[in-house]
This record gives sequence, C-alpha cells and structure tokens, in this order.
Amino acid sequence: MKYFKAIGCIIWLLCWLQPALAKGHDVTIVVTPAFNGEPLILDSGRYVTPHGDKISISLFKCYITKIALFGAEGVTGSFSSSDRLVDAGDPSTDTIILHNVPDDNYHTLAFVLGVDSIENTNGANDGDLDPAKGMYWAWNSGYIMAKIEGNSAVCPTLHHAFEFHIGGYQSPYDAAQLINIKLPVPVKPTSNIIINITADVAAWFTDNLDLAKTNSIVTPGKEASDMADRYRNMFGVVHLIQQ
Amino acid sequence: MSVAKLKYALPACVAIAIFICITAFDGKDPEVHFVRPDGWPKPVYNFKHNPLTDDGFKLGRKLFFDPILSRDGSTSCASCHTQWSGFTHVDHSLSHGINGLKGKRNSLALFNLAWNTSFMWDGGINNLEVQPLGPITNPVEMDNTLENVVHKLDTSHAYRLRFYKAFGDSIITGQRVLKALAQFTVMFESFNSKYDKYMRHEPGGELTAQELSGLNIFRQQCATCHPEPLFTDYSFRNIGLPVDTGLNDIGRMKITGNPADSLKFKVPSLRNITASYPYMHDGRFHTLRQVLDHYTGGVVNSPTTDPKVRQPMPLTDQDKQDLIAFLQTLTDKEFLYDLRFRDYRD
Repeated sequence: MKYFKAIGCIIWLLCWLQPALAKGHDVTIVVTPAFNGEPLILDSGRYVTPHGDKISISLFKCYITKIALFGAEGVTGSFSSSDRLVDAGDPSTDTIILHNVPDDNYHTLAFVLGVDSIENTNGANDGDLDPAKGMYWAWNSGYIMAKIEGNSAVCPTLHHAFEFHIGGYQSPYDAAQLINIKLPVPVKPTSNIIINITADVAAWFTDNLDLAKTNSIVTPGKEASDMADRYRNMFGVVHLIQQ
Repeated sequence: MSVAKLKYALPACVAIAIFICITAFDGKDPEVHFVRPDGWPKPVYNFKHNPLTDDGFKLGRKLFFDPILSRDGSTSCASCHTQWSGFTHVDHSLSHGINGLKGKRNSLALFNLAWNTSFMWDGGINNLEVQPLGPITNPVEMDNTLENVVHKLDTSHAYRLRFYKAFGDSIITGQRVLKALAQFTVMFESFNSKYDKYMRHEPGGELTAQELSGLNIFRQQCATCHPEPLFTDYSFRNIGLPVDTGLNDIGRMKITGNPADSLKFKVPSLRNITASYPYMHDGRFHTLRQVLDHYTGGVVNSPTTDPKVRQPMPLTDQDKQDLIAFLQTLTDKEFLYDLRFRDYRD
C-alpha cells in the first residue's frame, strides 16, 4: 500500500508540474464579427445587403472547431479542446487560446467552420458542443453549425424576420466548411502575437441573395449547404496584433 | 477456546464481514452489468464514451420518471413509456403530452437500444444519447429546452448531489443529463422470453407444436425484415399501409428529403409484441390478427411499397393462429417486471 501511495504522489506531482514542464507557448485567436468591415452591432438596423435590402441583425453564432496551425514543420495537430461557439451577443466567446503550441513559424491557420460528422454522430458532447447550447436539432440529429437572424422590411414573414440555421453533416449536403487562413507573416508562438480574424457576416448575403424570396433555412439540405458555401468567405481579413 | 480468544473473535469477524462487503461492492453495483447475449451482434452503442455506473444508472432512472423534464412539470419519459408494456404507451394509438396535446405517432417500445442504428419511427435521431432531445423539445410532448432542464435541475440540491455521485462533481450539464438517461435506458435488455429459452435449450423454453409451427412460418414469411435475434433489421420500409389523410405522415422522407423514402418507417422489433399494442407508426391496429390481415389483404401498392409485401402473404387462418402463438413466446416477463426499472422514490 505504501508504494501505491508513493506512486500516487509522484503522479500527482507530475500532473501538477506538467504545465510548467510542457514545451510551447499559448497562441491567442480573436474572432471579430463584422459587417462590411465594420464591427457588427446587433439590432442596429444599419446594414444593406449586396441585393440592396436594408437589414438589422439580431443574432449571429457560429462554431469554430478543430483548429490547427500549419508551420514549416507541417501541421502541429489540432486543438480540439478549443472548440468554440462564437456568439456576437457575448464578447466573452470571441477569444480562443491554443495552449502549448510548439515552436515553429506558422503560416496558416486552419479550422472547421461548423462541426464535423464525427461530433455530429457520437452522442452528447460537452463544453461548447453541449446540446444545451441551443445549437442542436432534436428531430433530425445534428448541430446547427452557424445561425444568423434578423429582420428586413422586404421579408414577407412574421415581424419581417429572416432566419438561417445552417447545418447538416451528411453527403452531399455537408455544411461543415474547412477554412484555411494564410497569415500575413509567419507567426512564432513566442512572439506574443494575437491573430485577429474577422467574421464578416455580409458574406451570408452575397450571390445577390434576395431576402424577399429566401428568408428562412432551418433544415439540412441543398439550400443549407449552398448558404454554407456563401458564408465560408466570412474570413477574408486577418490582422496580427502585438501584445 | 478461552474467553480471551473469543473477545477478539467477534471484532475480527465483523472486520472480515466489512472487508468482504467493501470488496464485493467496491463502487460497482450488480444492477448495472450490460450483457451481450451469446450469438448476438456487437452493440452499436459506444459504452467507452459513457461507462455505466451504479450512480449514473440511478440518476438516469430518477430523470426518466421525473416530470421536471417537461416545461410545466406534467410529463415524464415514463408518461408514455411504461415498463410493463415494453416501455411504450399501451392502449394509446397516439400519445398525449403536455396540455393533453396529441402527437403524430405511436410511442415506440424501448428495449435492446444498444443495438439500434437510429431512433424514432423515421430514424431522425442518430445516437441513443441525443434521443431524449426529441421528446424534451417537441411542443406536444414536453415542450422544453435542454438548457431549461439543466437550469431547473441546478436549483435542486438533491439533484446536484446525484450528479456529484454520478460524475464526480455537482456541475449539471446537458451532456451529463443525456449520458445519465442513456445509462438507464441502455440497460433495458430483453433476452429472456420463452423463445430465448427455447433457443438456449433452457427449462421453460419448451415450445408447443403450434408455437413451433408459428416459428417455421415466421422464418419463411417475416424474418427478412424481422430477423432473429433482435427481430428487426433496423431498415425503413413502406409496408403499404393506406395513408391516414388526417396525419399525412410521409415518414422517413421528412428526414432525408428523398421521395424514394416516402411513407417508409422503421421496422420495429417484435419482441414483447403482445405487451406493446397498438401497432404501426400511428397505432392503427389493436390486435396482431389485424396486423396479419393487413399483410394478407390490406396492402396498398405505391411506388415505394416494399417488394416483400406487394403480393398478399400466403397465410391460412391456421397459419395466422400459429404465428400469433409464436409471437406470444417473444414476451419477456423477466424484463417487463424487472425491479431495477421501477420508479424508486429514492
């Protein structure tokens, strides 16, 4: 028994020291919801879509999961513990910290915009993927990968509302999007740089989306995956900020 | 033996007894041992993601019987899933949930869920753990949200204690609610019917000549869609039921959007079939005789009607009686009256 206790103590000590012993530094990513380059202000009623529809946006949420960094040595591996539901109505959700990133010169940030098919089928998940977060369809299992709601006078709907709840993990209408973002200059984890990516929701309304005709997508399928193909272009602008 | 020695004998015996108790029970409970019966396929459910424990099972049991899951505290899982009927809503063609509102489909029996490849009549739900989200959020069942369930449970000291026991801390999350419910429902195992004992050559498994005749007919006419030992192939099929124009239920097509899936519904298991009437996705048949009469003369052929039922089944009246006699041997009273699945006010 004595030995068990001693071994237990050593294991405990190692666990306790682990963060200090681990190699690598933290990398911080900040996601800034925006509309046409300006920070997104919910319920402001000030935006105009490419089609010319005046809109107000009341809600925007999207999943950013399976984050990975690519460097000179190749991919570092993904940081799945950093799976995040970004919510424009909750600024505490915009900062994602990747821990213990090995030293390298990273030129590309990659992630899944949405939730991959494994997480969609393996039961009840935790953290930001907890179905209690309200981003989960009960009647046809799967995550709502991104959601935008608002209103526009052109929508012939109750309260002139539009709602796009986009998901679906089954081929050919898999809405999860693999996003690769080239960083302006290679980033070293030791340099205390924040990677600031803009999620410009104007992308949802491109391809001349006419809100009078298309104002509600709330099931998986072709319409949803087409919308995901539009909004995958949200992440055009990247800034590096020295801490 | 001297008195002095006896003085130590009693405490020693007590100590040994306590030691045996501790080692025998050691946090594990004989209640929660999942069994894979001999000859059965590998379960689909991934137990590695949700190791069964006594406290997790008991928490799931508490949640299953607690109407706290519904918006107004009126409806529990057990409202529509009673044990003695194989965990379905016996004698209800369609179930009623919150405010007495009626659903569109007959509640499914719940057993051998670890082998289910999908859930619900249309297969819309892909994992046992997320299955409760269907009834919890359905406006005519419990009309609630998982977020609200978590919030309500979190105000209960008793529940926080239960989550502490089951998961190591008292934080209540949606995931833990769902995993606990899965720990309870995955234990609904039915493999001790008369038929099972017959197959295992055990006492109590002696089939009569009529039951054996029924088994033979079953294997010829029914086993393609209802293969042993689970008595379902988990596929979706249109068995040619005339469309109920009041419900206009398109079945599987609602999930896939594929017209080829129109009017297809999950093939249900036939275990405990006599206990779980009425039958079909809308509970339209109250007797097994009506079901068999459908296959011999009631099938409506449409583009998606299954090839297996397009021609009337060649069953005589005697065949039907024998088949029903066989189907009665699929009733598993050990499961239907298993004390582990009762509502304990503990």
